[in-house]
Amino acid sequence: MYRIVSTAIVCGIQSILVQVEADVCDGMPAFEMVGALSSEVKEARERVRAAFRNSGIRLAPKKITVNLYPADVRKTGTSFDLPIALAVLAAYGAVPEDYLEGILFAGEVSLNGEIRPTTGILPMALAAKEAGKQAVCIPIGNRGEAELAKGMAVLPAENLNQVIQMLETFHKDPEKAQNARAYERMGQGRHREGDCDFSGIHGQKVLKRACEVAAAGRHNMLLVGAPGAGKTMAARATATILPDLEEEEALELARIYSVSGRLGQREGQFFARPFRNPHHTISAAGLAGGGAVPKPGELSLAHKGVLFLDELTEFKREVLEVLRQPLEEKAIRISRSGGNFCFPADIMLIGAMNPCGCGYYPDRGACACTPAVIRRHLGKLSRPLLDRIDLTVEVKRLPLAELIGGGTEETSEAIRNRVQAVQKVQGKRFAGSGISYNSQIPVPYMEEFCPMEQDARKLLQDSFERLGLSARGYYRAIRVARTIADMEGCGQIRRVHLMESLMYREIDRKAWEL
Amino acid sequence: MMAKECTELGTKPVCKYEYWFAGIPSLSGKKKIRLKSQFPDPEEFYRLPIGHIQQIPWLTEREKKAVAAAKGTPEHKLDAQACYCAEKGIKLAIWQDPGYPKRLRDIYSPPYGLFYRGSLPPEDAPAVAIVGARGCSHYGKQMARAIGCGLASQGVSVISGMALGIDGAGHQGALQAGGRTYGVFGCGVDVCYPAAHRELYGAIPKMGGLLSEYQPRSKPLAMFFPQRNRIISGLSDAVIVVEAREKSGALITADFALEQGREVYAVPGRAGDPSSQGTNRLIQQGAGIFLSVGDFLKEMGIFADFVEDSAGNQKFSLEKSERLVYSCVDLSPKSLDGLLAETSLPLGELIEILESLREKGCILEVYKNYYIRPEPSGFA
Repeated sequence: MYRIVSTAIVCGIQSILVQVEADVCDGMPAFEMVGALSSEVKEARERVRAAFRNSGIRLAPKKITVNLYPADVRKTGTSFDLPIALAVLAAYGAVPEDYLEGILFAGEVSLNGEIRPTTGILPMALAAKEAGKQAVCIPIGNRGEAELAKGMAVLPAENLNQVIQMLETFHKDPEKAQNARAYERMGQGRHREGDCDFSGIHGQKVLKRACEVAAAGRHNMLLVGAPGAGKTMAARATATILPDLEEEEALELARIYSVSGRLGQREGQFFARPFRNPHHTISAAGLAGGGAVPKPGELSLAHKGVLFLDELTEFKREVLEVLRQPLEEKAIRISRSGGNFCFPADIMLIGAMNPCGCGYYPDRGACACTPAVIRRHLGKLSRPLLDRIDLTVEVKRLPLAELIGGGTEETSEAIRNRVQAVQKVQGKRFAGSGISYNSQIPVPYMEEFCPMEQDARKLLQDSFERLGLSARGYYRAIRVARTIADMEGCGQIRRVHLMESLMYREIDRKAWEL
Repeated sequence: MMAKECTELGTKPVCKYEYWFAGIPSLSGKKKIRLKSQFPDPEEFYRLPIGHIQQIPWLTEREKKAVAAAKGTPEHKLDAQACYCAEKGIKLAIWQDPGYPKRLRDIYSPPYGLFYRGSLPPEDAPAVAIVGARGCSHYGKQMARAIGCGLASQGVSVISGMALGIDGAGHQGALQAGGRTYGVFGCGVDVCYPAAHRELYGAIPKMGGLLSEYQPRSKPLAMFFPQRNRIISGLSDAVIVVEAREKSGALITADFALEQGREVYAVPGRAGDPSSQGTNRLIQQGAGIFLSVGDFLKEMGIFADFVEDSAGNQKFSLEKSERLVYSCVDLSPKSLDGLLAETSLPLGELIEILESLREKGCILEVYKNYYIRPEPSGFA
């Protein structure tokens, strides 16, 4: 007998439907599997066979042939166990054909017949919904994830016998399958409460202001300061003043985490912006994503949130250069022999570094680095990368009095509300233009979006020469000034906005005059 | 290739063997002079069998080895070296030449030969060395530039080592005043070290000279630099140390200067300021205190009638809030954060005031978001 069962394969963060065909006929007893299978898919045969036996399912010795198609897509992963098992059972006639119709199956089967969780269930469920399936049958451990694709019945599978029973019930009364409230399970939690609230950072007025400006206009930011000055803390706190994710954004992010099997990390903070801080020993593939079957890298895991690179100068140069294209395109394209994959990577980059080798420049009391050493240190960052960073802020070590000093500081929540308001202003301005933040204003639209008062224009021209700004630096200053003007509620950029914006310009390369 | 490529210096022709002899490394000037008195003709010395060298009792084993190694240089390389010097305009003054600086003759260990580009310091004009730390403060750099400028404009030759920081600033000041200035190298004079001073390297030979006891193409080795300091002080009548940390190369120059009987002056710094610890220590040990160019020239008896230019003390008309900010800025750079804390002004207001002060020329942004008062007053 011949039967067919639907499943899906993950490709990047998308999913493609795959059909599992099984044919059972008389002949020499055998179990053959074909259809561009990787070794872990071939192993499914052994798992399924043992699972049948241990679930008390006895099958007559016959010749079994299983094919997965489309045959030109390479099948990888362990989610094929469950559909293969059901296709074989159906082909034997143990499960009626109409029980399987309109349902997508995915899951790993263990030798005792239990269904184990697997990665990439969310993209599969979304693909099933798009293809018009009525239900997905997935491991119970992935239940919350599947339920995120609303509008479809989710059949949580515990073991093979339970699946067969569940299919019967579902067939008889589809209404009975209830949908749990997944968003509740994933957590209404919006923000991680904890140690990195801005109220925990004393003093550092310039730093705080810069963080707010950066968050408001989604500008990339570089923090330069002595070891222990609070760069990491500021970066973490910046993630907490970003407004919550929209539902659509949250779902896209969940896809990425689902594919890399880390959706558990998002539990309880489904709408919070991600904050990723990979260690500086990370490889280019770790940052961008990669592997024989490409998985999202840190760039994509920080999608719609903050990618924090601490000790920026310690990263390998070729790793940092990877950032250049995604920072422009908001996505990263990976080409492998298995195909081309596109992972979204719309990040806000925050870098942190020491100003010199020892980390204390320009504090001449503590720093004894020679100009050549400082130049070499700063030279570790390439110009094209620095050109993509809008704000550079120095973080100073605080005197103890200020550090433990009294006075209450503003909370992240208060700042977040302001940031949200400023982003709304930007949304209104850019409606229909394809961009949403000031940091994205393209050069040809500068005049239109960034009207300037006369004396501001003059200041900019003077500064261009005095500070030796590059063309890129010139436009960066305008973009940041635009954000500052928005924060002050001004339609036109004023002189003082530009002055502040210039305050965040790039670090001086010609060090050593202090 | 020419058999004997010679360059004229004064009246005496200098031939390739002289270049070779002057350039023998690891042999002190004193030993070279003694060798020269024994073997007056360098060509003869070049051809002398190595066995003879071994017999010279007052040469150490190391020196004998160095001489033997140098004698192994083939003839055509000597030609090439002489040609190279002629091409690059590198001249040589040796111990016996009348053009050899007289001041150097008197020092304990004079260099045997001086390779130089441009000219040598004139004997009849006073010469003063300006030395100090490479890693200096903005204040130190300004002082060095002002001193260099003030001295050079009075016809004093400004001598220094063309290093980064104070040295370079001293040269710059002298060039700015259109005066003479001389840089002493710890490498070949055809090597621009440090590379960042390319501009000075090009300008100094036109207004003075670059000199070195090391043969052209010598690399800037760390061991050469303390030795070149003796030439800096040796060429000068006085040494001014502008800024030096507790252990600074500039203090080596000061030590040489004392040994050689030169005056040592130090620019005082604030007690406890690490970049002035060395100079303050010199003052404690009895060095002259440098307060102004005029004072210095009077004390040195160079120009008693030097009149201080008082244009530096400008009068500004400042608003109240500007005065508040201005009073917080001093000669060492203040960060924006520091000013914010000191003045308690809101950020927007503060940056507007700083901008207007900057436009009036009352303050200077020396580094990103670091401000300083422009000139130490009392200096032109």
